[in-house]
Amino acid sequence: MTTAAGLFQVPWSDYRSDLLDALLKTVSYTAVSFAGAALLGLVVALLRLSRVWPLRALAAVYTELFKNIPLLAIIFLTYFGLGSVDIRLDVFTAGCLSLIVFYSAYLSEIFRAAISGIHDGQTEAGEALGLGRLSVFGHVIFPQALRLALPGTNTMLVDLLKGTSLLVTISAAELMSEARLITSSTFRALEVYLVISAVYFALCYPLSQLLLAVERAIRAGKPLTPGRRRRLSTARALLAEAPAPAGTPSPKEATA
Amino acid sequence: MTEPVTAAAQAPGTTTGTTAPRPTDAVIRIRDLGKSFDGRRVLDDVSLDVPRGRIVSIIGQSGGGKTTLLRCVNLLERPDTGTIEVAGETVHSDGRIVCRDLARLRRTVGMVFQRFHLFPHLTAVENVMLAQVKAGVPERQALERAVVLLRRVGLAHRGLAHPDQMSGGEQQRVAIARALALKPEVLLFDEPTSSLDPEATREVLWVMRELAEEGMTMMLVTHELPFAREVSDWVAFVDGGRIIEAGPPAEVLGRPQQARTRAFLTTYESAE
Repeated sequence: MTTAAGLFQVPWSDYRSDLLDALLKTVSYTAVSFAGAALLGLVVALLRLSRVWPLRALAAVYTELFKNIPLLAIIFLTYFGLGSVDIRLDVFTAGCLSLIVFYSAYLSEIFRAAISGIHDGQTEAGEALGLGRLSVFGHVIFPQALRLALPGTNTMLVDLLKGTSLLVTISAAELMSEARLITSSTFRALEVYLVISAVYFALCYPLSQLLLAVERAIRAGKPLTPGRRRRLSTARALLAEAPAPAGTPSPKEATA
Repeated sequence: MTEPVTAAAQAPGTTTGTTAPRPTDAVIRIRDLGKSFDGRRVLDDVSLDVPRGRIVSIIGQSGGGKTTLLRCVNLLERPDTGTIEVAGETVHSDGRIVCRDLARLRRTVGMVFQRFHLFPHLTAVENVMLAQVKAGVPERQALERAVVLLRRVGLAHRGLAHPDQMSGGEQQRVAIARALALKPEVLLFDEPTSSLDPEATREVLWVMRELAEEGMTMMLVTHELPFAREVSDWVAFVDGGRIIEAGPPAEVLGRPQQARTRAFLTTYESAE
C-alpha cells in the first residue's frame, strides 16, 4: 500500500502537453517510416523477383545487409556517422531514414514470399484474359499477395512503433526521449518508465487488434472500399432480377 | 501464307485438304508447329485448323503435347518453329511473336484451364467483370454482361460467392463465363473436367454442349472421349508431339487407322 502510494509522485499534469507532443512525434515517426518502408520494401521485393539478375543481386545484397545490422547501429550511422562526413540530416529525417532502411529489408522478405506464393496459374489466367503486365500485377497478384503478407506486415508495423523508442539515442523528442527528460528532472525512473511503457502498450495493443480485425474482414471477402461496396450491391440487385434486364444483349448475341 | 502446306509429310488426314490455301474460314490455323523443352521435342511439325463454328478435340496420353499445343494458340507458350494464325491474322511465325497487340489476340481467344484459376479475392461476378473493365467496357455494362453470363451457366444465384465457397463444377462454370466475357471468337479448353468429380463434370459438359449448340468455335483438350465423340466435328489424336491421326470422331474414335490410336483407345476403354 505504501509502495503503491509512494510509486506515483511525479506531477504528471505538468507534463501533459509535452507528453502529447512526444506521442504525436512517435506516431509521426511510425507513420512516415512505415509508409516509406512498405513502399521501398515492395520495390526491393519486386527487384528480387526480377528476371534481370543484377537487379536480383542488388536487392538481395540490400536485404541481407540491413537485416543483419542492428537498428541502433543504423541509427548511429545515419545520424552521427553521416554527420561526421558533413552529411548532416536533421533528427527527424535521420530517424525516419534509419527505420525505413531497416524495416524495408524485413518487409521486402515478407512481400517477396507473399508474391511468389501466388500460383503461376493466376498470372496465366490474367494474361489469357488480355490483361497487361501492370493490370495482372495490380488486379490479380497484388491483392492476393497483400492478403498473404498482411499478418507479417502487421507484426512489423507494431514492431516499428516500438522500434521508434531507440531514437531516444539521438534525442528524437518522441515518447522515450520525453521519458528520459522527465526522469532526469524527477529522478523517478521506475514510475516514469512504467507509465511510458503503459503508453506504448495503449498504442500498440489496439493497433494490433485493429489490424487483426482488418485481416479477418479481408479474409472474409468483405468489401473495404466504397467503390467495391457499391459494385457488389448493384450486382446483388441485378442478380436478383429474374429475366435478363432490358438493354443487355440476349445470351445468343452475347456469344456472337 | 502463299506456300502450300505439306500436309502429306504428316500423318494422313491432319486437316481437311490443307494443301490448298483456303479463305479465312479457319479461326485458328496452325502450321508446322514445333517446340522443345530442354531438348525434348514436345511438338513436332503439328498442323491443324479450327474452322469457324466447329469443335476440334485433341485427345491423347498425358505428356503427349496436347496442352502445349493448346497453350501455343494464345501464346501462353511460345513455339520454336511454325506459324499460328488466329482470326486471319498471323500471330506467330518461326519463334517470333508477330502479333502486334497481344492483348487483342487474347481477347479473341478465350481460355478455360484445368484448374479453373479463378481470382480467389474476387466474387464470381467480379471475376467475369474484370477483363471487360480493363478492356474499356463501362462498369455498369460489364456488370450487366457478367450477370447475363452467370445466368447462362446457371449460376446467377452464386454471383456474389467467392471461388473458395464454390464447388469445383461451379468454379469451372464461372471460369467459362469469364472466358466468354470479352466475346471471344474461339474458346480453348484445357482438360476442363479433369479435376472434377462425375457430377461436376456433367454440369460443365452441359454448359459446353450449350455453347456448342449455339455455334461457338472451340478447341479442346480432353480425356472425356464420349463427350469428344458427341460434340466434336474433328478429333486429333496427339502422341509424342505429333498428330498421329485426325478426322471426324466416328472415324478416329470408331475406326482408328493407326496402331498407336488403337492402343490408346484400348487402354482408355479398359481404364474406364
